[in-house]
Amino acid sequence: MTPLFASWFVWLTGGYLLLGLGFAIPFAFRLVNRLDPVAAHGTRPFRLLIIPGATLLWPLLLRRVLRRDTMPPTERTAHRNIQ
Amino acid sequence: MSAFYRAVNWNRQKYIFDGLLAATVLGYLGLFISLSLGQDSNATLETALIRGLGSGALVLLTVILAVGPLARLDRRFVPLLYNRRHLGVAMFLLALGHASFAVIQFHALGDVNPVVSLLTGGADFHDPATFPFEWLGLAGLVILALMAATSHDFWLATLTAPVWKGLHMLVYPAYVVLVGHVALGSLQQPGPPLPTLLLIASAALVLGLQLFAGWRERGLDRQQASVAAEGWIAVCDASEIREGRARMALVSGERIAVFRYEGRISCVSNVCQHQNGPLGEGKIVDGCITCPWHGYQYLPDSGQSPPPFTEKIPTFNVRVIEGRVYVDPRPNLPGTRVEPALINPGGPRRSA
Repeated sequence: MTPLFASWFVWLTGGYLLLGLGFAIPFAFRLVNRLDPVAAHGTRPFRLLIIPGATLLWPLLLRRVLRRDTMPPTERTAHRNIQ
Repeated sequence: MSAFYRAVNWNRQKYIFDGLLAATVLGYLGLFISLSLGQDSNATLETALIRGLGSGALVLLTVILAVGPLARLDRRFVPLLYNRRHLGVAMFLLALGHASFAVIQFHALGDVNPVVSLLTGGADFHDPATFPFEWLGLAGLVILALMAATSHDFWLATLTAPVWKGLHMLVYPAYVVLVGHVALGSLQQPGPPLPTLLLIASAALVLGLQLFAGWRERGLDRQQASVAAEGWIAVCDASEIREGRARMALVSGERIAVFRYEGRISCVSNVCQHQNGPLGEGKIVDGCITCPWHGYQYLPDSGQSPPPFTEKIPTFNVRVIEGRVYVDPRPNLPGTRVEPALINPGGPRRSA
């Protein structure tokens, strides 16, 4: 890998994670309450624990916040898909 | 189960498990570092620590991958399965420690960004002696980070169990690249090839266990349930099901679990809503179907978790005719109550 490409890779990854952290903190302490009623009563250590995941998956969560989802999605299995 | 999220749903068993895990990891690190420094006069504390953390992470990862098939082959391993997430997070922390110390030791002393230095080190992909094995380690660490960061039940609900499981199946490619990372790193160091041989043996053990358990499971799904009148499926004789336990069968593309309890028969989808655990391998506890993986519970007649919990699984209409259990292959909506079939319609109900 060339130094230029490696530098771009590091900067882009760092930028993504920095944006993610900027989203994850308010998400964990406020926004998550809108997406999942079970999370609304979550403890403070739980909120701290979801920050790393929210930092990594922030585009998915941001999409759900903007869509104003109020419940987690329902899973799809063979038996649920038939209905 | 919990009506609201906590960081960890601690109980006595988890305290004991985590205490034993921490003691084992610290004991392993102490022993590894002592032996490394004692046997190799050129070894430094930093190098021994880096190797100890890395090898400890790989040993734990091997155990984690062996636990699943072992629990399927022998139920005595189920408690390890119950706490596998704690093993996973401990393994990630060891791997992170290994990577952090390695980057500091080998890439942070110059004027180039350490990660850029790691990525731009002399790379020759055609020669095992100079192959950049660090790249494999980095790829494995990224996958482990994603898995550790999404290990909480909140992520199961947010991503849904099938997607979450798909994400966590990345542990297999992670294992492959990490075995490559350690094997190449070991081969590029002077000394006997013992670590590489041990590594190959442990990888073969994991592969063998996975294949054997998969082969056993496939046998279950191949057992054909016969189709009776009106498309209902004859699963088994009621007498073949032990009290408080289930018989599984493949129906409509997924397994069902037919439970016998208190003289009655109920049928639900075999897939737990939590982590898609096999409900049919669980048992009735306090009147509820109890998942063997993490103890999630469902009422057998409705597939609903008892209040205040909200999980629901599909149910199936069921009949018992002359002692034989018949199931309608069309699943009901999750949480739909179905009248249990009586094993002896004229006889008294038996309490568990």
